[in-house]
Amino acid sequence: MPLLEIRNLVVRYGEIEALRGVTCAVEEGQVVTLLGANGAGKSTTLRAISGLAKPTSGEILYDGKSIAGLGPEAIVRMGISHVPEGRRVFPGLTVKENIMLGASNRRAATSEISREADAMFDLFPDIRKFTNALGWTLSGGQLQMVAVARGLMAKPRLLLLDEPSLGLAPVIVQAVFKIISEIRRNTTVLLVEQNARMGLSVADYGYVLETGRIVLGGKPDELWGNEAIRAAYLGGHAKVSA
Amino acid sequence: MDLALQLLFTGIGIGAVYALVALGFVLIFRATNVVNFAQGEFSMVAAYLMVVAVEAGLPYWAAFIVALLGMALLGVVFNLGVYYPLRHRTYLPVIIATIGASILMANSVLAIYGPQPQVLEGWFETPGIQVGPVYLDSQYLLIIGVTICLVIFNFWFFEKTLLGKKLQATSQDKEMASLLGISVSTMIMITFIYSAVLGGLAGILVAPVLFVSIQMGSTIALKAFAATIIGGFGDVAGAIIGGLALGVIETFGAAYISVPYKDGFAFLVLIAFLIFRPQGIFGERVAEKA
Repeated sequence: MPLLEIRNLVVRYGEIEALRGVTCAVEEGQVVTLLGANGAGKSTTLRAISGLAKPTSGEILYDGKSIAGLGPEAIVRMGISHVPEGRRVFPGLTVKENIMLGASNRRAATSEISREADAMFDLFPDIRKFTNALGWTLSGGQLQMVAVARGLMAKPRLLLLDEPSLGLAPVIVQAVFKIISEIRRNTTVLLVEQNARMGLSVADYGYVLETGRIVLGGKPDELWGNEAIRAAYLGGHAKVSA
Repeated sequence: MDLALQLLFTGIGIGAVYALVALGFVLIFRATNVVNFAQGEFSMVAAYLMVVAVEAGLPYWAAFIVALLGMALLGVVFNLGVYYPLRHRTYLPVIIATIGASILMANSVLAIYGPQPQVLEGWFETPGIQVGPVYLDSQYLLIIGVTICLVIFNFWFFEKTLLGKKLQATSQDKEMASLLGISVSTMIMITFIYSAVLGGLAGILVAPVLFVSIQMGSTIALKAFAATIIGGFGDVAGAIIGGLALGVIETFGAAYISVPYKDGFAFLVLIAFLIFRPQGIFGERVAEKA
């Protein structure tokens, strides 16, 4: 049984049908990447899983239980942590406080949470020196590190990562993906990426979303192997002609 | 000089009341992005609760606790009845609802108690003490003391506790807070309870200085609202500094220029700030919320 299974998921925002029947699955221990162009429905899929968007119809099964329609507070308590698009680091709180609040989904003593937050800097050494800096003072790459660290504080079984590379310099993107490859040792990851090359480099499986539907799924090398797919969805033109 | 010191003391005393109500404004504004126009009525209702409890024969301290508990309950009811049903709407329906609630509260008290102002005794039997040239009124001393304690408590609560951080997180980004498992509705409930108690405390403390009347709420609320704008809207320290400054300014203005225009000075300062420094004293720091 997959850790997460989505069947015929439909999400509407008013008149707009953002998802038109998405079906996909994430096996425990895997990194699964959702690829697709802007507006294809990648973020909406994650928002529906974490409870931010209410599904119009369809099923979301997590560990065999239906979670469709539950609120975000209930879903994160079940072990699904969503690091949303745009990082959303609290601007008026310090880095340490932001990371500590990541543990709000579980009961633990404040001193214990503080220790765990300190330990998080071993995985993210680049932000250690900003421990007491306010969120709004950080750069994009630093914010992304804080957002992922905060997401991991929930001790999730499933981590949802939305566009972690967006707007970051290539060298920072490399650092973020190095962290994802470390996270995967004990956490299942559903990753949304526009950067197909990076997204598939860490993945066990990939799906391609197009205008609210999954049009293709496969292992990364299968997706890369498909010339038409490379040209259309993965932005591989340069590679093909080389 | 002696007069100036005396006025400074009185001004800080009355300013502390504005500061407490202004703090209530700011906390609700930060949590819900809405100005609660019923904040002043919290002070009025609490003062009447205090009058009722004292008349019922309760000792002053017990009446004080009963009145504050009543305010906590009012905070719950206000949240559930006024804010919660409209929480997914824009700010406009919520603001109108708070105005409606304020009219409802004022007229309920009017219906029950009639229009004649009530008198509430002060906490202490001693009217005050003479320190050098300045006469320290015991009620003003109490107001200042309680305000200092509350400012310290407020700082400790919001800066040193995890619950305080969760409240701040909720006020900065509700959706993200809910993604982390922070119960947004609980945080907003806590904010309303705390603000109602703050407003109530201000009303109870100032009641022996003024008369307890239906209008006291709107008078205090207008001054407190002016204080939040002078301090920098949405800023906690600004609300406190703005409140104290306003109290001092209007007291000095009344003594040296004109008593009948006492309220006018507060609004003159407000207008000056709106024209020359609309972001208030601590205005820049609001950028942290952006």
